Amino acid sequence: MHVAPVDILLIVIYCAFVLAIGFRLRRQMVGSSEFFMAGRSMPAWVAGVAFLSANLGAQEMIGMAASGAKYGILTSHFYWVGAIPAMAFVGVFMMPFYYGSRARSVPEYLKLRFDEKTRGFNALTFAGMTVFSSGISMYAMGALLALLLGWNIHASIVVSAAIVLVYISLGGLTSAIYNEVLQFFLIVFGFMPVAYLGLRDAGGWEGLAARVPDTFVHAWSNLGQADANPMGIEWFGMVMGLGFVLSFGYWCTDFLVVQRAMAADSMNAARRTPLIAAMPKMLFPFLVIVPGIAALGLTLHPAAGTAPLLPTLADGTYDYNMALPMMMSRYYPAGLLGLGLTALLASFMSGMAGNVTAFNTVWTFDIYQSYIRPGQSDAHYLWMGRMATLFGVLVSIATAYAAMRFNNIMDMLQLVFSFVNAPLFATFLLGMFWKRTTGHGAFAGLVAGTGAAAVHYELTGVAGTASLFPKLAIVHAYPSDMAQNFWGAIVAWTTCFVVTAGVSLLTAPKADSDLRGLVYGLAERPARSDAGWHQRPAVLAAVVLTLTLALNILFW
Amino acid sequence: MHLDLRYPIGLLLTTYGAILAFEGAVSRATVLDLNVNLYWGAFMIVCGLGAIVLARRARKSQITNHKSEMT
Repeated sequence: MHVAPVDILLIVIYCAFVLAIGFRLRRQMVGSSEFFMAGRSMPAWVAGVAFLSANLGAQEMIGMAASGAKYGILTSHFYWVGAIPAMAFVGVFMMPFYYGSRARSVPEYLKLRFDEKTRGFNALTFAGMTVFSSGISMYAMGALLALLLGWNIHASIVVSAAIVLVYISLGGLTSAIYNEVLQFFLIVFGFMPVAYLGLRDAGGWEGLAARVPDTFVHAWSNLGQADANPMGIEWFGMVMGLGFVLSFGYWCTDFLVVQRAMAADSMNAARRTPLIAAMPKMLFPFLVIVPGIAALGLTLHPAAGTAPLLPTLADGTYDYNMALPMMMSRYYPAGLLGLGLTALLASFMSGMAGNVTAFNTVWTFDIYQSYIRPGQSDAHYLWMGRMATLFGVLVSIATAYAAMRFNNIMDMLQLVFSFVNAPLFATFLLGMFWKRTTGHGAFAGLVAGTGAAAVHYELTGVAGTASLFPKLAIVHAYPSDMAQNFWGAIVAWTTCFVVTAGVSLLTAPKADSDLRGLVYGLAERPARSDAGWHQRPAVLAAVVLTLTLALNILFW
Repeated sequence: MHLDLRYPIGLLLTTYGAILAFEGAVSRATVLDLNVNLYWGAFMIVCGLGAIVLARRARKSQITNHKSEMT
């Protein structure tokens, strides 16, 4: 891929813009509230776009296009089943507790609702996961730029990390959120032409459907049997594993995204944040999955006078990860290529900034202030937040280098996610909606759920695939990694739910007075608003869910 | 106190649009018989200017409200 001076110019302008926003905001960072929580002053639309953008890491964009090429429109389940319902749920039902409790982080909510040990467990696992995830994303981006453009991977990693470090250190969460909004628009404008041009070259949706197997253009009609679709998963595993456990576990409890809603300027704005994010989210399959399907279509049946689009690996299979880059390479001339590369950089930076801001908050409030240096001044914690930002970026860089040496570190990250996020949702569900849930129950449930996920992993395998770790025994073989992950999540969630409920019934609950504002039935109901329909969370949620249902039916 | 984000968004989209449109007008490079730089650049300019106009309107309305409160 040849990069022209105009492409470099567009990338340089983008870097100047994100740094300028950091410098513009630095004078407003007068205390820890401004730095870590953006002073709880974000309008709903800004928090909503940032909520979505923090999730749009480079892996998401490249990975979803790759999945589109590998699995077809089935990948849309990660949006229409695996995101939108959970986003509606967190906005309507859970945000009143997060925002109303005045907790500064998700682990702090766990402390208020349960106890110190539950908060500590969540804070440590979350802090570890965020810097790990940020480093993996950094490595993926550096490797991609090296492969596509021949750029030095070390320079790509260090320069990108330095830019994120500067704008977060200067402007804290506000800077991260503002840049995420900017990055969102760049991602949309940068990838929209490739979706249009790919589809046009393939002969529109009808032409594309004729170029790929029939199972690639139907979202539901082949989910009756696991072996009837390319994902190797049946509808129950899809709905329960992805649509309920993994999806709700991520969107409803992961501080990386919840932090954006907690920065909103009012309870109503916080509740609308995930719902506003859901609107563009439901359309993202057209931006990232359709180009992936087009890449496969134009590989199986190339357009007249063109070569197959996807490259092949040494084992003869297609290199699906190259779907989006190869589409950009084919359809983007100098200029538009710069915009596409800027969109990739923006997606990487927004994902990394999301991880780093979540890490510095959890580290400072839930680990440093709670266990290492309690009782210090606000200025001290602000300083520690900046140091944590630097530390988080440095650990991310170290993780990126570890990923270079161990090619299975990314698989391990996915595994850790499924161990941690899935049981956590059971803890929150019981904690927020059943006041009888106790701290001992929550902690025991989390440990048991994580343990159950590990046992499930050790006793199951994937047909025809080598395992990351040695197995105790294989009592069941799944047709795909995805099926194993979804069912592992179901096992972890169910175990956590049952153990939490059981131990809670055997231990003493907190008094109602200690649970005010934290549990359903003991919190003030959000006031009924006379505002327009677009400012009422329940109405917005109904609109979002109806539109998502329509999309599912359209691509049935 | 806070920056109205529509200004930087509008400025960035307009700048990018102008560069793309200029590149398209000069190079006349086409993809699938379309001068994509020119068309997409023009579209980005329109969106960028739209964001700036919205931000200016909001600012004017804020100033008007502030003045009426003072009187």
